[in-house]
Order: sequence, then C-alpha cells, then structure tokens
Amino acid sequence: MSDLLNQLSECVEFGKVNKAAPFPPQMKGMDGADEITRQAIEQGVAAQDVLTKGLMPGMERVGVKFRENKVFVPQVLMSAKAMSTAMVHLKPFFASGEAKQKGTFIIGTVLGDLHDIGKNLVAMMLEGNGYKVIDLGIDVNTDKYLAALEEHPDAAVGLSALLTTTMANMERITQEIKAVYPNTLVTIGGAPVNADFSQKIGADYYAPDPQGVVEFLNKQTA
Amino acid sequence: MIYEISFRFEELELDEEFISRELGYPLDAMPEPFPFYLSEAQNLASSVNDIVGSYQLFEPSQFLTNGRSLHLKGVKLKPGKTITGELRESSHAALFICTAGKTISEEADRLLRGDDPVYGYVLNVFGSAIAEAVADRLQERIQAEAQAQGMQITNRYSPGYCHWDVADQHALFSLFEGKTGGVSLTPSALMHPIKSISGIIGVGSDVQYRDYHCDLCQMKTCMHRKM
Repeated sequence: MSDLLNQLSECVEFGKVNKAAPFPPQMKGMDGADEITRQAIEQGVAAQDVLTKGLMPGMERVGVKFRENKVFVPQVLMSAKAMSTAMVHLKPFFASGEAKQKGTFIIGTVLGDLHDIGKNLVAMMLEGNGYKVIDLGIDVNTDKYLAALEEHPDAAVGLSALLTTTMANMERITQEIKAVYPNTLVTIGGAPVNADFSQKIGADYYAPDPQGVVEFLNKQTA
Repeated sequence: MIYEISFRFEELELDEEFISRELGYPLDAMPEPFPFYLSEAQNLASSVNDIVGSYQLFEPSQFLTNGRSLHLKGVKLKPGKTITGELRESSHAALFICTAGKTISEEADRLLRGDDPVYGYVLNVFGSAIAEAVADRLQERIQAEAQAQGMQITNRYSPGYCHWDVADQHALFSLFEGKTGGVSLTPSALMHPIKSISGIIGVGSDVQYRDYHCDLCQMKTCMHRKM
C-alpha cells in the first residue's frame, strides 16, 4: 500500500499525469497519477490516505522546490495537473464525506489587476494540500469577496496583486472585508507587497510564495 | 499622426531569454512537452492577423510637462514623480499601444482555466513575448524618427509600474481616437486583449536610453529585481 502512495507522491512531485504523458522524461512509459490513484482505490486504500499520504506530500515537495527556485511555474502546473487528474477519482469520496478537505480558501486578483499566474499557483498548491478553493478570478472587487464569504463564512481569503498601483485596492478590500468579517483570515501576496505592507493594511499574513500560504493555513487548522 | 501597424509573427524577434527563463529550461534543452507546446504556439502565432501596434509622436507644441504631470494635446497624464522626472528633458513624447492580439490572449486564458494549463502558460509567456516584441519594433521606429531629427529616446514606461496609476490609461487611450489596434479598456482600466502593453517614450536632444534601472522604483520586493 505504502509503495503505491509513495509512487503517487512521486507522480505529483514530478508532474506525471498518466502513462501516456511524455513528461517527465525520466518517467516515460510508467504509470501516472491517474492509474496509480485508481489502483490504490481498487486495492482498498482509504480515499483520505490517498489524499493525505499520497497526493499531499508530493504537492508539498513541489511547493518547497518552487520556493527554493529548484522548479519553475510549468513544473508546478504539471504537478497540479497530475494532482487534479488524481482528484477526479477522489471526488465521490469527498461528496460522500468519506474524505474531508482541511478548509475553504477564497482567492482572487484584486480590482484593477489582471495578473493571475501567481494567484493560480496559490490556488493549485492549496488544492493539492487538501483545501477547497473558491477562485474568484481577476479584477475582483469587495462585493465578490463578501458574496463568497457569505456562502463560505469559515473560509480564509487570499488577495493577489502584481501592479504597484493596485496595492491601494488591496488595502481597501482588506479593510472592507474585515469590517464585515473581522475574524476572517486575510492573506496577501504578489510581487509588489511584503510583510510590512500586510501589517499596515490590516491583513493577517503575507506569503512570499504559494507554499507559505499552505503553511500559514495549516498552522491555523492544526 | 496616429500609426496603426499590423505585424506578422515572422517579423517579430521574440526574446528567447525571457521565454527560457519563464519556462525554466534552456531553449535547446527543453524536455517534452515543452518543445511541442512551443511549436504549437508558434503555429498559432503564425496564423493570426491581430498582432498590432499603434503609436503617435507629439511635437513640443503638443507636449508639456510640469514635473508632476504631462499634458499631451491638452490631455493630462499623471505618471507620477518618478516617470515624469525621467521624461523631464524630453521635448517630444511618443505614446504607444501594442497587442499580441485577441486570438492568443483568449486561447491562453481558455487553456489556463481548464483544458491544458501547461500549454496555457506556455502560450501566456509567448503572448507576453509577442507584445514586448511589438513594443520593441515600435520603439525602433520611434527611435529612427527621433534620430532623423537629431534626437534620442528614453526608456519606455507603462501605467501600472513605477506608481503610474492604470486609471490613466483612459486618458492615454483617448488620445488614439479609436486607433488602438483593437485594444479596449475595462471600467477599471484593464486592457483587453490581456496580452497588451501601453506606455510612453520621451524624445529629445538631451535624453538617453538606459539599461533597465530598478533604482527608479521604490518596490524593494518586486520580482523584477530578482531577474
């Protein structure tokens, strides 16, 4: 059993989606996340274990390697693709309650900004680490965050920005969210922001990379 | 005069170093599926006809700067202290709008959202490289026009950077009288197609082009500093 889960971790870590996928070259012709997840379930491995002992450790290793500049965006996307392929097999177990996600995270690129690669990476990394992600897209105003929070009041929120000029919108949105949901955790990220800015605008956390958001939320849910 | 120029992909020289850096592999040593994706992106780019750049040059009578803002044909732009300072010696100014086009931008977005995020990302990087290459071609034309009159150009500056508020794009676009190469603005001043660039270049006898200078910007944590 643990062999299968280790193989699954490697598939996610290196972005091996399925047997037919040519990437990564060193795993060509081998089973991928798709086949191994199916095998694990067929062999009676609990869906929760597939998630927490197979998929999540692989995604965590990718997150750390991305932070250390050992892999780049495309490799993370490959890993996320492997992860989401495996998750298709787990969906019925989430629906039945047999497997549980850690929590919900609402994410968006703030009003006035359309850069979404960083935001997508955070979303993928969180999904890969066992969170349900509500992705609001780009150019997101306060009303959209509040509407999502109304539906998911226990969710944490992530605000992303790339442009220096949208930092003001990030500040306003954070404060407007906090005015309605003072206990909601707000994390921020993006090239122009840092921990000082996070503190100044009243956000709860600044993460310099996707794995930082995962680690922050894991601490809150531990 | 407003020039609106269509470019064929083959006319553009993409920044291979940028593509390689964004994909994380040297161009001559990319594992599959990246060479396949790059080849697909190239085929798509070769088939489109919506890669466009627009620009116009403003004469001294149409261009005023007071240290904090710029006035072009009476339209006020507020690019902020830093950029205005960089343009202070300019006697003329050129505005530009460039786009990799709707086809590539929308296909990259569609793939990123679902079907194939990895190819979507490759196309996204490719689209950025095309928009920059169009801006490079326009910059060459502006530089050639400037040099013909014994002048030089400054670096190019875009809304959204160095504290130039993107909201100013509404004013910038208004000066193009609809000849924006198919690029439009949302109410929050974002450009569509997404893979588009707008901005300003200063022109004059006492200006100079410098290598990219991060010392201009206050954003000490910006990713461009890591490049």
